[in-house]
Amino acid sequence: MSLPPPSWLHPGLRLIEAERGVGWAEISVQADAFETVFRASGGRVVLPPQGVPALVAALVAAERAGVELHLSRRTDVMETGRAPDGPGFAVLLETSGTTGTPKLIRHDFQRLRGRLRGAADPDARWLLAYEPAAFAGLQVILTALAAGATLVSAPGAGAAELARLAVRHAVTHISATPSFWRAFLLALDGAVPPLAAVTLGGEVADQPLLDRLAERFPTAKLRHIYASTEAGALFAVGDGKAGFPAAWLDGGIDGVGLRVRDGVLEVESPRAMLGHEGGWLSTGDVVDLRGDRALFAGRLDGRVNVGGVKVSPEVVEQVLLDVPGVRDALVQAAANPVTGHILTALVVPAPGMEDMALRAAIRAAIADLPPAARPRLVTMTGSIALGAAGKKTRKGTA
Amino acid sequence: MTNSMFALIAEELARIAADKGETLPVLGPDTRFLGGDLPIDSLDLATLLVVLEQRTGQDPFRAGFVQFNTVGELAALYRPAHSHPGLPAGSL
Repeated sequence: MSLPPPSWLHPGLRLIEAERGVGWAEISVQADAFETVFRASGGRVVLPPQGVPALVAALVAAERAGVELHLSRRTDVMETGRAPDGPGFAVLLETSGTTGTPKLIRHDFQRLRGRLRGAADPDARWLLAYEPAAFAGLQVILTALAAGATLVSAPGAGAAELARLAVRHAVTHISATPSFWRAFLLALDGAVPPLAAVTLGGEVADQPLLDRLAERFPTAKLRHIYASTEAGALFAVGDGKAGFPAAWLDGGIDGVGLRVRDGVLEVESPRAMLGHEGGWLSTGDVVDLRGDRALFAGRLDGRVNVGGVKVSPEVVEQVLLDVPGVRDALVQAAANPVTGHILTALVVPAPGMEDMALRAAIRAAIADLPPAARPRLVTMTGSIALGAAGKKTRKGTA
Repeated sequence: MTNSMFALIAEELARIAADKGETLPVLGPDTRFLGGDLPIDSLDLATLLVVLEQRTGQDPFRAGFVQFNTVGELAALYRPAHSHPGLPAGSL
């Protein structure tokens, strides 16, 4: 059987992964195979990471079969037999926490697509710079599907490899984190891809980076997006300036209400995840008002973004404090031009503790943390200064 | 570019690579950090910059992002050598 593609998938679509190109014909075959399995699943299926073509086929099949599709970001999760959270087709995405079990967020598919413009753009050539099963990655995929565009992907590849692919495939559209863009600029040689759209999201876009991108890609449309897994895609800022116009706090933007309570941005969005209909959601993002501009000033919970991964200095500090031979520890975020931030640690050794042995013990203890959460510089010190309130002063977390 | 800065970058980069069980090829001024032959990723490059700041007391990126691609371009961003050679880097 060969059914036509769903309304959200333009038949001109082309996916290029690992240098192999596939179109609707190949996706359709895989979707048929998935559909048979999904219909027998009891309402909920888990798709481990298998690349973009399989993910697209699974979306098509899950919609036809009317099941929940859990897009897993890890290959080692074999969760079976769980009952669905609700009836019908929906997409379950994992949050990108650095510690503990990721939370599963259930998204209504039509809402996920709520912010996407449906216009066909078959000449567009997108590069996927996010994980396919991440919220932002899925947004890029759905955008390319609706446009009938070409989507170039290489799951697991770093910014340098993706920069090469962008040049080789003459990519016109990239949406990525500021950290990715910094690494991308560092990896580009003389040749640059013919970018028409440069989009930043997932981290605060700083003015120097926006300026560099505008200079390197002068004809591209430059936008930074504010979104969160819980609240969905919220708004885009297209004036090339960091933050967003403070006037939006009065009138809202694109149907999204914005307000600041106790210095923290709250939103009211029609695109919030299921179960959060109506009402204001705290984003946890601290906002500074400066003149006619609202600027992001870090996270309320102290988490910082390291290369696009949110990490908690406090959690990492606890890991260090649990290492035998560590008498005290302070983990701080240092601003970094490549990854936005990076964690560093001050460690007070217990008396008689030998430096090399302690460093080895610390290295072993942090090996279980995601690479972004590992303190990259550990300095031994005699004592850690306390602030006025008797607490350690954690600089850099704004 | 100063020779001492180049040597410092080579030393710290070798340490970062060694911690990952990697060995560096011979570095030259035109060696690219990312997208070339070096077995490092952007987190490793970020680590190099924080270690260099500790060892030189200089942060060429204080005012924002400065474009560089190669070892030579990075070395040129630091003022000539008043580094603190006695200070242990303590990179993990």
